[in-house]
Amino acid sequence: MIEIDDLHKRYGDKTALTGVSFAVKPGEMFGFVGANGAGKTTTMRILMGVLSADSGQVRWNGAPLAFADRRRFGYMPEERGLYQKMKVAEQVEYFGRLNGLAPAAARQATADLLERLSLTERAGDEVGALSLGNQQRVQLAVALVHEPQALVLDEPFSGLDPIAVDALAEVLVERRRAGAPVLFSSHQLDLVERLCDAVGIISAGRMVASGTVAELRAKEGRGVLKVVVREAAPGWTAGLPGDLTTDGDEVRFTGVDGDGQEILRAATAAGRVEHFGWERPSLTEIFREAVA
Amino acid sequence: MSGLWLVARREIVTRGRTKGFVIGLVVSALLVGAFAFLPKVFDGPDSYTVGVVGSPAVQRELVEASAGSSRETKVTTRPFADEAAARKAVLDGDVDAAVVDEHRVLADGEVDRELGALLEGAHQTAQMQKQLTDARLDPATVARAIQVAPLEQVSVGADTRYAAARTGIATIVVIVLFFLIFQSAMFVAMGVVEEKGSRIVEILLTSIRPWQLLGGKVLGLGVLALVNLIVVMAVGLGTAAATGFTVDLPPGMTGIVLGTLFWFLLGYAFFSVLAAALSSLVSRQEEVSSVLTPLQMLIMVSYFAAFFTTMEPGTTLARVMSLIPPFSSMVMPVRTAGGEVPLWEIGLAAALMLAATAGMLAVGARIYERAVLRTGARVKLTEVVR
Repeated sequence: MIEIDDLHKRYGDKTALTGVSFAVKPGEMFGFVGANGAGKTTTMRILMGVLSADSGQVRWNGAPLAFADRRRFGYMPEERGLYQKMKVAEQVEYFGRLNGLAPAAARQATADLLERLSLTERAGDEVGALSLGNQQRVQLAVALVHEPQALVLDEPFSGLDPIAVDALAEVLVERRRAGAPVLFSSHQLDLVERLCDAVGIISAGRMVASGTVAELRAKEGRGVLKVVVREAAPGWTAGLPGDLTTDGDEVRFTGVDGDGQEILRAATAAGRVEHFGWERPSLTEIFREAVA
Repeated sequence: MSGLWLVARREIVTRGRTKGFVIGLVVSALLVGAFAFLPKVFDGPDSYTVGVVGSPAVQRELVEASAGSSRETKVTTRPFADEAAARKAVLDGDVDAAVVDEHRVLADGEVDRELGALLEGAHQTAQMQKQLTDARLDPATVARAIQVAPLEQVSVGADTRYAAARTGIATIVVIVLFFLIFQSAMFVAMGVVEEKGSRIVEILLTSIRPWQLLGGKVLGLGVLALVNLIVVMAVGLGTAAATGFTVDLPPGMTGIVLGTLFWFLLGYAFFSVLAAALSSLVSRQEEVSSVLTPLQMLIMVSYFAAFFTTMEPGTTLARVMSLIPPFSSMVMPVRTAGGEVPLWEIGLAAALMLAATAGMLAVGARIYERAVLRTGARVKLTEVVR
């Protein structure tokens, strides 16, 4: 389990992080979202030890995260870095070796990964000759080659086409299934909503929300009940609970306690009910509300 | 430790196959080969063909002198039937000169100075022998009497017999050291900025320690530079041997070679770590040359001091510069190649340079460690040395 505990960081007189805390459990995929400059990258760099915090602690399975543990992490920094003049397979293998793999194991892991990421044909090409999307895949391969016990990925999906997104998502899901905590940041909230078990929202260096998507919904986004009644007598909504907005035959109830069965009864009495259902706030809506 | 070896190996493999390294290797080898071959070109020919017309005595003396000489210069004789044939051969350039009837030399213009001396010697010996024999002295006694051992050279001042060869070797040493140290330091600097600028360093430093990354880089590029140096020395000495220049090589060549390697390693370690430390302050290749200005100045001053030393090895300036690190790394090997240097001076220079290199390793590694993850604007040296 990765625990981020009360991180503080200042750059000169600018405060970057104020008491950031959250945890990523084994086998959990954690989506880290926030506006540009909110502190995601700073948090992840501190987690990976390339930046030091002013105060606070990062723990791995209860103990302060040590260098030896971090070697077994897979890391993809925000600004991608690869040796442009080095060949694809050579490069992935090199990082495998640096992370402690034996030569044969590194070679095998590289071949497998390149196959999975559809890069086998480019294995002998210099990285600089690849398209940005393919370089991104190599970057990912570098982060994954040593079968990391945890993944920390800064914007791994940015710049990928839908097929590459699926391939990457599949690899992440597999690591999660193997029991690794997976932490990644993204601006693609639909993707985060689809993939993640838990989400953390950071705004201006503070965590404003974290938990499972369902928890966030319950806490941040109140349910909206949408009812469409055709040929209804005007004023059928009188006396019903919640605040409502009307748009022709469409009526939205917010702040409804309970399951809204009384509203359904009133609607059926009033006319032909074409639609009755809860509108779940999307992560985007939760996010907007949380950072507002 | 394995991280360090992996980094070193990567540097050797990837840098060793770049055009820059290969071209540098070939060019430096060619230059040194040419330099070793040059004396041959300016030294004049080392064999002569002499035509002879009815001059058996001179011919015999020439053949004997040539066979018994330890000198490289060989003289071949070629008999001609009459003077006209010899004259034609001289004009055609088939022979360098022709001796006619034991008392005249035909040449196209002037006789080559060395050949002239040889012919004159042979002529003197032959005539002396003839005249003594004509005076009814026993030919065997005459032959014994005119055998004279050549003068033995004894220098009561400095031994200057090898001065020219030593100066030549010293000049090659200074050029090679300058070229290799400069090139390698630049390679180190470029490698550091490549990693910092592309942020690979962030991934690398989650897997290995900064000292492993820095040490591996310096070690790997050092191995390449050492390979380059050894190739250059092999080519230089090989060419010298192949062209027959080796007889003039001064004694103690092994010492000169080993000394050059020793000083190169110290100089390389010092300058490459300095290059790494300075270049870790910047994030873009364009900024490398400006941040390396102090390093380039140091190397240039060392180079000029070393070059000055090849011409004026005995001056106080040369002696002082050969003791002060890091200049000593280029000046001292040139001094030792160029002439005799008291052992205590070499020892002192080595001790000082070793201390300076150790200091540079400590300080340079510290600067590198603190600056290499601070991407963005150029890091001020004062922010990282405290």
